[in-house]
Amino acid sequence: MKNAKKTIFIFLIILLSNLSLSGSYGTRPLTPSLRLGDRNENVLRLQQRLSNWGYYKGEISGYFDKDTFNAVRQFQHSYGLPVYGTADKHTILALGLSKIIFTGVVHAQATGNSDEQLLARAINGEARGEPYEGQVAVGAVIINRTRDPAFPKTIAGVIYQPGAFTAVSDGQINIAIKEGSTVLKAARDALNGWDPTGGCIYYWNPATATSKWIWSRQVVKKIGKHNFAK
Amino acid sequence: MGIREKLLDFKRRLQDRKMYSIVIVIIAVISIWGINQYRHSASLKQELNNNYNRAFYDLLGYVNNVEVLLVKALIASTPEKTAGTLQEAWRQANMAQTNLGQLPVSQHILAKTSKFLTQVGDLAYSLNNTTMAGNTITEKDYQTVEKLYGYSIELGKSLDDLQQQLSFKRIKWDELTRRGASIFRKTSADMPSQQFENIDKTFQEYPTLIYDGPFSDHLTTLEPKGITGNMLNADQGREKVTEFLGKDRVASLELTGQNDDGPIKTFTYTAAFKDNPEEQKAIVDITQKGGHVYWMLYNRPVPEKKITVDHAKELGRKFLEEKGFKNMADTYYTQEDNTAVINYAYKQDNVIIYPDLIKVKIALDNGEVLGIEAKGYLYSHRERSIPSPGITADEAKSKINERIEILSSGLAIIPTNFKTELFTYEFKGKMYGRDFLIYINAKTGKEENILLIIDTPNGILTM
Repeated sequence: MKNAKKTIFIFLIILLSNLSLSGSYGTRPLTPSLRLGDRNENVLRLQQRLSNWGYYKGEISGYFDKDTFNAVRQFQHSYGLPVYGTADKHTILALGLSKIIFTGVVHAQATGNSDEQLLARAINGEARGEPYEGQVAVGAVIINRTRDPAFPKTIAGVIYQPGAFTAVSDGQINIAIKEGSTVLKAARDALNGWDPTGGCIYYWNPATATSKWIWSRQVVKKIGKHNFAK
Repeated sequence: MGIREKLLDFKRRLQDRKMYSIVIVIIAVISIWGINQYRHSASLKQELNNNYNRAFYDLLGYVNNVEVLLVKALIASTPEKTAGTLQEAWRQANMAQTNLGQLPVSQHILAKTSKFLTQVGDLAYSLNNTTMAGNTITEKDYQTVEKLYGYSIELGKSLDDLQQQLSFKRIKWDELTRRGASIFRKTSADMPSQQFENIDKTFQEYPTLIYDGPFSDHLTTLEPKGITGNMLNADQGREKVTEFLGKDRVASLELTGQNDDGPIKTFTYTAAFKDNPEEQKAIVDITQKGGHVYWMLYNRPVPEKKITVDHAKELGRKFLEEKGFKNMADTYYTQEDNTAVINYAYKQDNVIIYPDLIKVKIALDNGEVLGIEAKGYLYSHRERSIPSPGITADEAKSKINERIEILSSGLAIIPTNFKTELFTYEFKGKMYGRDFLIYINAKTGKEENILLIIDTPNGILTM
């Protein structure tokens, strides 16, 4: 009996230490180091940043050449990092280019547009199970609201208006965007002006909506599970 | 062993002293945990209430300031003073509106109040621009400001009243949030939200405001100029859509919606293609009048990039020409997920007409058109009678900050944010290593707009 307990205890310790290990190693394979000879968009970003900060004088070509190598060394030297000319995780973080590291992991963090990110997360919370058109439509409603005098003027203002969206009230907006999800694409289309709702500022799910008031709106369109109205 | 015996066994064990102390410890631990949880939630609630109170008192302050500034604008005697006061009123009204949006009250309850604050700010800004341009404010504008001033007094009074109730704790914010956690949830008609409803009643007789600003009431009822032709029925619409998507490609086409509301009435069709999986559908909205394609979206993944954006621009232009949109010139573009969204503007007699805008989404694997969005074009397109410019290009150039290096120039019609158009010279210039577009009014020589061109690996944007 006592032995059994001990075994369980040891097992737990091993499990926990494993967890913490996978925590620190988990991001490693996803961290691309940029080195001499590389040619890609990340090198372009690296050169741009090094040039902005005055370490790099050459052409911003996206090709990791000798000049870039020297610039990285110089940067590493002045930041007290190991000086070896390869832009590793620490160098990239010190340059404030965390986006490079996370590209491909959490897809939603790969682009720089904060409105796009927020809109994508709102669509993810509200309509991840909807057809593509319905996802664009939810994004369009949020954008239409920013242009309506009766609503806040910014995308964040509209999304976080108290009580405006169920997914914000119950925290579903923070759910991670799944690999292969179309919500980011939908957010981009909505921001680019595609509006399947024809200018609607409300939507609700007729199966779950209990507000009497919302039913007083005239339904303009039905897309997926949602009714859209002005 | 039955349940009864188990319970008895438990009771027997409880009498054991060791077991007794274990139970006491467990109860103590749970109580401590409970007290901590309670404290934590109480402090969160307090923090939330503080935040709501802050938003409310800020709102109150800003509304009072708007009221004072409006009356000052009415009595100011110099254009400078009027402009300055209006500018401040614009800022204060914006802040008031922002704070209103943070109160835990269902949006529809305070919709009219919110609209009032937006329009006061917007109108003040528009009048400020009028004054700054050296024009005087008309008698009609003064009357509008007078009316708005009256409303701001009323609003201030109602908010003061509410503030009294708040300080006597007759209204608690957390009660409002618990009930109104969502506009979709049931709203019971109890005291607190009624108080807010009364505020909105102030604006029952609120007039329709028309002025030169993005939130002016006339913009919602604007008639589209680019929609011509006869009314179609759903079958004629189907023919138009089949023709647009390509007769040979369409496997099935259904009418999935009809929008009879607003200035642009449409039919919505959903199409599946022969050469693609059934679940990848294209949605097309066409206008009931004339059967113009309003927008199209085809959601298919684009796994790789095989063609350049320049090639895509040419493909998009050809596509538009085929579909009857002639003389479209590409302007800026964005590129994400191996897909490019390219903006095309109409060109008439070498004048680029930005309001007549069509966006085309092109897959960079095979150049297929995945989307089109023609709202701008349908709202504003027509053959315009473009006047000859009142000033020469050199005269216009002399109006530009001379530190900017000018790279190219041309004529352009640009939209304002309240849907009117300006005839301008467009100059592309460089400064601080960045590219700018500068628009000089071709009649008056006034500098109308400056856009910053943002050239990123993902596209060219203007800000």
